[in-house]
Amino acid sequence: MKVGIPRGLLFYRFYALWKTFLEELGAEVVISPPTNKGIIQKGLTYAVEEICFPAKVFLGHVLYLKDRVDLIFIPRIVSFHRREYNCPKILALPDLARNLFNIPEERIIGDEINMREEGMRGWRRGFLNIGKHFTTKESKIMKALNLAEKAHKDYQANLKKGMLPEDLIDHKNPLPLREKKIVLLGHTYLLSDSYINMNITEKVNDLNYSVITPDMVDEEKKRYYLSTIPKPSFWTISNEIIGSTLYHLKERKPEVRGFIHLVSFECGPDSLVGELIERLLKREKESLPYLRLEIDEHTGEAGLVTRLEAFVDMMEWRYKSLESYVSPFASS
Amino acid sequence: MKATFPHLLHLDIALGVLYPTLGVEIITPPPITQKTIEIGVKLAPQNACFPLKVTLANFVEGIELGADTIFMAGGVGPCRFGYYGQIQNIILEDLGYNVDFVLLDHPRYGIRPFIKALQTMAGGRVLSSRVIKVASLAWKVLRFTEDLETERRALRAQVKDRQKLDEIVEGALEQLRQVNNEKSFQAIKEETMKKLDNLERKETEDLIKVGIVGEIYVAQETKINFNVEKILGELGAYVHNSVSTVEYVLHTLPFTRSREKLEAWELAKPYLKRFVGGEGIDTVGSAIRYAQWGFDGVVHLYPFTCMPEVVAKSILTAVSRDYDLPTLHLAIDEHSGEAGLVTRVEAFVDVLERRKKLKKKKVEVS
Repeated sequence: MKVGIPRGLLFYRFYALWKTFLEELGAEVVISPPTNKGIIQKGLTYAVEEICFPAKVFLGHVLYLKDRVDLIFIPRIVSFHRREYNCPKILALPDLARNLFNIPEERIIGDEINMREEGMRGWRRGFLNIGKHFTTKESKIMKALNLAEKAHKDYQANLKKGMLPEDLIDHKNPLPLREKKIVLLGHTYLLSDSYINMNITEKVNDLNYSVITPDMVDEEKKRYYLSTIPKPSFWTISNEIIGSTLYHLKERKPEVRGFIHLVSFECGPDSLVGELIERLLKREKESLPYLRLEIDEHTGEAGLVTRLEAFVDMMEWRYKSLESYVSPFASS
Repeated sequence: MKATFPHLLHLDIALGVLYPTLGVEIITPPPITQKTIEIGVKLAPQNACFPLKVTLANFVEGIELGADTIFMAGGVGPCRFGYYGQIQNIILEDLGYNVDFVLLDHPRYGIRPFIKALQTMAGGRVLSSRVIKVASLAWKVLRFTEDLETERRALRAQVKDRQKLDEIVEGALEQLRQVNNEKSFQAIKEETMKKLDNLERKETEDLIKVGIVGEIYVAQETKINFNVEKILGELGAYVHNSVSTVEYVLHTLPFTRSREKLEAWELAKPYLKRFVGGEGIDTVGSAIRYAQWGFDGVVHLYPFTCMPEVVAKSILTAVSRDYDLPTLHLAIDEHSGEAGLVTRVEAFVDVLERRKKLKKKKVEVS
C-alpha cells in the first residue's frame, strides 16, 4: 500500500519517526518532493487566502500526493507535550485537506495524537489507531512504534549536533561551520524548508555566521528557562522558541551575536510570542540585537537579503560598542 | 481599588449591576470609538488579532479615568485569547502604568491564583448569599440584554418605524443600568416587551433570512463590526445571530453546558471533527443549523487572522457547497472600511433576494 506523507508543517519534526513507523508496518512510503513553485501555486490556488503560508504550502503537497498514493498520512497532532496544544490549523489539518480537495475520509490517515491530558498514553493510543489501518496485530504496531521512536531519537540527536532537517532528509552537504553564531528562531517547518524561507541558512552562512535553531538547544534547558516566565504559552513550538531565546540570553556564549526570528505573516502564536520575546530582550541590560523577518508568498528575495545584510552590519557595530551600550528599557 | 474591564457588547451593564453591591468600585471604560481603536493599534503587536488591540485600549482608557486594577479572563488555548492577559500585562508594564492586573485564569494554571483572583473580583468572599443573589440578578440582566438585541435584529426589517424600535431598546438598556433588585428588573422587562409587541408591523412579506456566525467578540460588538446586523436589517433581512456571551459562559463553567453549542458541535462533526479553539467549530455547526432552518444566507464575521475562524472559513467553503448556502466572509480589523463593507453586504443581500425569487418561480412552474 502506498502511503504519502506531505512534506510540510510537522513533517520536518517527525520525519524519521513517521517514515520508520509506516515502513515497519509494511507500507510503501512516498514523500512529496521538496517544495517548488508548482506546489506553492497549487496551495495558493486552493487554500483560503488568510491561512498561513506554511499551511498553504502543506495543502499544495497534499494535492500533489492526492492522485499518486492510496492513503495520505495527515495525523491530527493535537499535542505532543503535556498540557500544551498545537496551533488550531494543525488541529484541523486532516479536515482542512479533506474538505478543500473533496478527498474521501477513508483515504486520509487522520487519527488523533493527543498528549495534552494523558501524556505518553495519548501518544501510544494515537499510533495504535494509525497502525490499525495496516494490521490488526497490536504487538506488531507497538514494535514498529518502538523502532520508530528509536529512529526519532537518532534524528533528534543529529539535529542537536547542528545538522538541519534537510541535510538528513535529502542528504545535503552540511554548510561550513562559522565561528560567529546567530540564533535563528522560528517554527521548524519554516526554518527547514529552504524554498519557502528563501534559503536563509545559506544566506546567513554566506555572511559568515552559522545558525543555531531551537532544535539545537537541550530540551531540559528550554523547559527550565520557560518556567521562569509567569505563564508560558500553550503552543509547544512557541514555547520552545521562548525557552531557547531565554537560554541564549541567560547563558550567554561569546560567539552568539544576535537573534533572527523567522515568522510567517499569518502565524497566530508567533504574533504574540514574538512580541513577548522582543520585550523580554529589551528589558535585559546588555541585550542582543533582534530581527523579526516576516515571510509569506509575497516576500521578495532582494528585500530579505537587504534586511539581513543591514542586520549583520548592525550586529557587528553593536558588538564593537557593546561596553558602552545600555538598553534604555532595562531596569537597573 | 478601582477596577476596569474590557467591553463586550452589554457586559458593562451586567457588571454595573453586579459590582456596586459587592463593594468594588468599577470604572467602565469609555465606549469604543475610533480613538480607542487607534490607541490599541498603536500599542499592541502589529499582527495580533483585533480584539486584543481593542481590549488593550479599553484598559488604557480606563486607567486614564483613574482605574488602578484590571479585571481580565484567561484561557487554555489553543486560541490566542488565552494569552491576551500576559501580553497586555507586559505591554502595560513597559508603558509605565502601575496597575494591578487581576487575571482569572483556568484553575489548571494553579488553583490558588484562581481562587485569589476570584476573591478579588468578588470583593472579598466568593460564596456568600449576597454574592450569589446579586450575581444571579446580573446574569439575568445579561441574558435580557441579549434577548433585547435578538428582538431588535429580528424586528428591524418588520416594523414600520425603525427609529422607534431603536429608541425602545436603547431606553431599556439605559434603564437596566439602574437596576438593583429583582422587582425593578422584572418591571423593566415586562414594560419593554409590551412596547416591542405593540410596535406597528409592515404587511408580512417573504423576508430573506440571514444568520450571523463567527468569533464571539467581532460578531457581537456592533461598534467594531460596523453594525452589520443593522445594515442587513435596513436592507430588509430578518437577522439572527448565533453568537452569544451567555452561551459562551455557560459552556465554560464547569457544571453547566450550553445545549445550543453542543448541538452545533454535533452538526459540525462531519466536516470538523474536533474543537479547534475559540468558536471555530461553533461557526461551522451554526452555519449548518441555519441551512437546516431554511435561512437564505450566512454572514461570517471574524477578526482578520483569527486562527480558529480561518479554519472555520476553509471548512465553510465545503458546507456552503454541500448545503447550497451563500456565505459572506467579513474579516474585521483596523483597516476595514465602512463603505467597502456596506457595498459587499448590499451585493450579498441582492444575491439572496434574487435566489429567493428564482426558487419561487421554479416551484410555481413545477
